[in-house]
Amino acid sequence: MSTLINIGVAQVGTASSPAVLRTILGSCIGVCVYERMKKMGGMAHVLLPSTVQGGKPEKYADTAIPMLVERLLADGCKKEFMSAKIAGGASMFTFNSSVALAQIGERNAEMARAVLAKYGIPIVIDDTGGNAGRVIDFFLEDGRLKVKSAGEEKIYYKL
Amino acid sequence: MNPQIKQRIESVINNIEQLPSIPEVATRIINMVNDPEVSFKAIADEISKDQMITTNILKLCNSAYFSKGKEISSVDRAIVTLGLKEVKDAVILAATKIVLNKIIMGYDLAKGELWRHGLYVAVLAKKIALMKGKKDIADVAFTGGLIHDVGKTILALFVQGTFKEIMRTVEEKKIPFIAAEKDIMGFDHQEIGERILSKWKFPEVLKASVRHHHQPMSAPDEFRTVVSIVHVANSLCLMAGVGIGSDGLYHELVPEAIELTKLEPGELEMLFAGIPEMGEQAETLI
Ligand SMILES: [Fe+2]
Ligand SMILES: [Fe+2]
Repeated sequence: MSTLINIGVAQVGTASSPAVLRTILGSCIGVCVYERMKKMGGMAHVLLPSTVQGGKPEKYADTAIPMLVERLLADGCKKEFMSAKIAGGASMFTFNSSVALAQIGERNAEMARAVLAKYGIPIVIDDTGGNAGRVIDFFLEDGRLKVKSAGEEKIYYKL
Repeated sequence: MNPQIKQRIESVINNIEQLPSIPEVATRIINMVNDPEVSFKAIADEISKDQMITTNILKLCNSAYFSKGKEISSVDRAIVTLGLKEVKDAVILAATKIVLNKIIMGYDLAKGELWRHGLYVAVLAKKIALMKGKKDIADVAFTGGLIHDVGKTILALFVQGTFKEIMRTVEEKKIPFIAAEKDIMGFDHQEIGERILSKWKFPEVLKASVRHHHQPMSAPDEFRTVVSIVHVANSLCLMAGVGIGSDGLYHELVPEAIELTKLEPGELEMLFAGIPEMGEQAETLI
């Protein structure tokens, strides 16, 4: 049995094969980075794009993603073998899309993409947006990502 | 619409025996607290008659969320130290836990998730009320937040078999989940929740918080602010993924309700960012 590690809101976690990292997402983004040679990876569960009130850097995409990548690099991972999968960023149902609160998910996804691009880490899967919640399982034995949303399951193998 | 499902739901809600029960002391305390003539002593005596509730509320009163530092070892002390409204909220927590702390199949909520969701919404709703200078409704915002989704405990049984149909309706008609529940099953979880609260003889303001939490503007005037606070707190918790089920964020975010709470976009974002810390407090009530 591989260990299941729950990543809570505003947490960053790294582990190696065969651990499984799980989180539950609404408007938050789960950023999953995998290093295919070392079979190591990590997940950041970010709430907002960037700092609004200080507090833990794990909350914000612009600080949590660097934490995640630096932690993997410190463990001997190489950037050229890394790829990322991002999921989440849903929004509340609204008849008027100008409600600021309903745009947090999309802003989160945009920031995650920008920060990963800055590191030159390719995003191979981008399962974001919509109105569904997501439960994601990130399998470090092969980097696959299982996304359960609105009663349906998808598995992404791409690295 | 699935008429057989509707009929089965009707037979459940019309049979009071089939709706969940809570210890009677909770109903008595809620109504006593609303009576300005009542004495602390009468309330303490009433609570003390129920041993299980007494033990549990003392535990709650000493939790990091309620505690004021000093150890509380009797109901009398709890009322003096925390106040009547806080103790009443603790009684409701202790009484409703058995009902809410279960697996909620149809909505894909593991055991404890609906309970956790209620606690987070309760704590956040109270925080919003206090932040906006509405101390007088902070306690009802808390309890309204706690039990707003109680209807899911019954409706889940029926959502299990109709989920695909509900989702198809959501997507085809572009309507919120709650409207599709009603479309397919003839009832939504707000209505079922209100029935449960009627059985418990809970006050109108709490019934309104349950009945209108997804559509606060249809709540009666005098309760619209509380219901809007619960609506916003619920939305923020769902966005943070706390107790988010198969119905996800297919729930309407009502701009007029946000306006009514007078929360600015920046404040909403701060509250959202504060959910992890707030959660640490809420978890002490689990
Ligand atoms: Fe609800
Ligand atoms: Fe809810």
